[in-house]
Amino acid sequence: MSIKGLWWKIGGALIFLVVLIGGMTIPTRSGVTATQPSNAKSGESIIISVVGYNTHFKSAQNHRAWLKLDLIHAIKSSQFIAKNENEATLTFSVPDQFPSDDQVQPLTLIIDNEMDGAFVQPNALFVTLNDSTRIGNGPWLSAALSNLNKSEGIKFPYRNILNETIRNTFFHVALWFAMFLLLIAGLYHAVMYLRTGLYDHDIQSASFNKIAILYGVLGLLTGSVWAKFTWNTFWTTDVKLNMTAIAMLIYLAYLVLRGSSSDHDRRAKLSASYSIFAFLALIPLVFVIPRLTDSLHPGNGGNPALGGEDLDHTLRMFFYPSIIALTMLGTWMATLLLRYERLKEKIFLKS
Amino acid sequence: MNITKVKDIFIKELSIEFRQKFALGGIFLFAATVVFLIFKSFNNINPREWTILIWIIMLFAGLNAVVKSFLQEKRETYLYYYTLFDPIDLIVAKLVYNFVFLCSLFMIILVFMAVFSGFPVKDSGLFFMGSALGIFGISVVFTFVSVISSSDSGNATLMSILALPLVLPIVLLLLKISAVSTRLLVDTAVMQDVWLLVGVDSILLGAMLLLFPALWRS
Repeated sequence: MSIKGLWWKIGGALIFLVVLIGGMTIPTRSGVTATQPSNAKSGESIIISVVGYNTHFKSAQNHRAWLKLDLIHAIKSSQFIAKNENEATLTFSVPDQFPSDDQVQPLTLIIDNEMDGAFVQPNALFVTLNDSTRIGNGPWLSAALSNLNKSEGIKFPYRNILNETIRNTFFHVALWFAMFLLLIAGLYHAVMYLRTGLYDHDIQSASFNKIAILYGVLGLLTGSVWAKFTWNTFWTTDVKLNMTAIAMLIYLAYLVLRGSSSDHDRRAKLSASYSIFAFLALIPLVFVIPRLTDSLHPGNGGNPALGGEDLDHTLRMFFYPSIIALTMLGTWMATLLLRYERLKEKIFLKS
Repeated sequence: MNITKVKDIFIKELSIEFRQKFALGGIFLFAATVVFLIFKSFNNINPREWTILIWIIMLFAGLNAVVKSFLQEKRETYLYYYTLFDPIDLIVAKLVYNFVFLCSLFMIILVFMAVFSGFPVKDSGLFFMGSALGIFGISVVFTFVSVISSSDSGNATLMSILALPLVLPIVLLLLKISAVSTRLLVDTAVMQDVWLLVGVDSILLGAMLLLFPALWRS
């Protein structure tokens, strides 16, 4: 290992500690978990009861709420009654005039106060038009949807379905990135072994690959737990999931191969070639096939990828350090394995 | 690469195979028995099960067949080859031999399946093209893995442990292509899968050609 000294081990551990503490303790922003009712007729007055998450309906003072139709059309609520911090009822009078004549109009609920900032529930209310409903702007243009508040401090974004599990980004996703970096290190040493024939390259390659396999298993476990909370099952037929499982099987076969032979030179040569072969088989498996098929994962089948709205600045603040920290910690673990193997080799040569 | 030498090794493999009639017969008997067993236990096989079963039989019959190809030879024979041939010639000949062998095995399984439980394939062109590409990929993986397990003191268990996970992506693509060709699935972008299969095949072939000379020296 060419990296000398303690700084990167301590650095990795510290960064990971920061990610762990920050990622687990920073609250998510406010959001709406449920609204009742979800249907209304045009021209009627409607009372919507809202259940919020991490909201301050009771302690905040200046509540405002809108039902938004599109970029310029919205109506303001006439009354906001807070039952407690997380529950409130809103009164709207749905006008008898609509800008367009679609039979069913989806409306987005926006709530704003000075403590939580503005937050949104898309398609909160579906309005069915009456026969008497006229086409026209009516009160739709008069609602001033401006001067929205911003919530103070660092908070993670609130996403429906994801809720608090959004924190898993720092562990699940970062583990895959770190795993790939470690596998590339393992691949480099496998190639170097075949080129130079130095036994040390072989044990380096094996150490990196073993830790990468550990990360892969952890990645699958964290993903499985995440899937339970968002997709409601531990395992799905999702392509990415199953292709990754195959990839892990290929690498587990690598471990079997390493355990099968007692002849060092032969084992080294076989496992180096197999790991190169396996890595090349991994590329279509993990990078190509899932891109061609629909997947529940972000970035596939029309789902948004990393970046955009999903990975905002507060998440990035922990996500990138988490990749770096996990790679450093992985390298550290690999060096421990490596030193153990080197000692075994030394004893073997002495005897 | 020397075409005549490749041909020589290929013919040698073929004649050895036909000399040991019991081994050859054993594999075909295995295929026939499994097909018959499946026919008796399912009675009525629908197209979906048909496509899945044919590839599973193919996979295990093929694994049995290829294991021998490197295991049957002694270390001394290898040393003799080493003085005679370029490693690339040898591996290409073995690969071509395995490919031809697996293709004929596949045809025989196909005939058995057709006799016992019908032939639900609607788009034969797609089916046979996809199958040929898939069998090529399978033979690349099996050939490479049989090299690895033969140099490791002829361990046949190791062969199946190493080979099965590696052929899984190919088999999954094959299952999809077969499903499309039996009209179980409508997919206008099935050519994308065929090209993907070509891509996977060429990656594996390239890796094998690169790595075999290094392995061979031991």
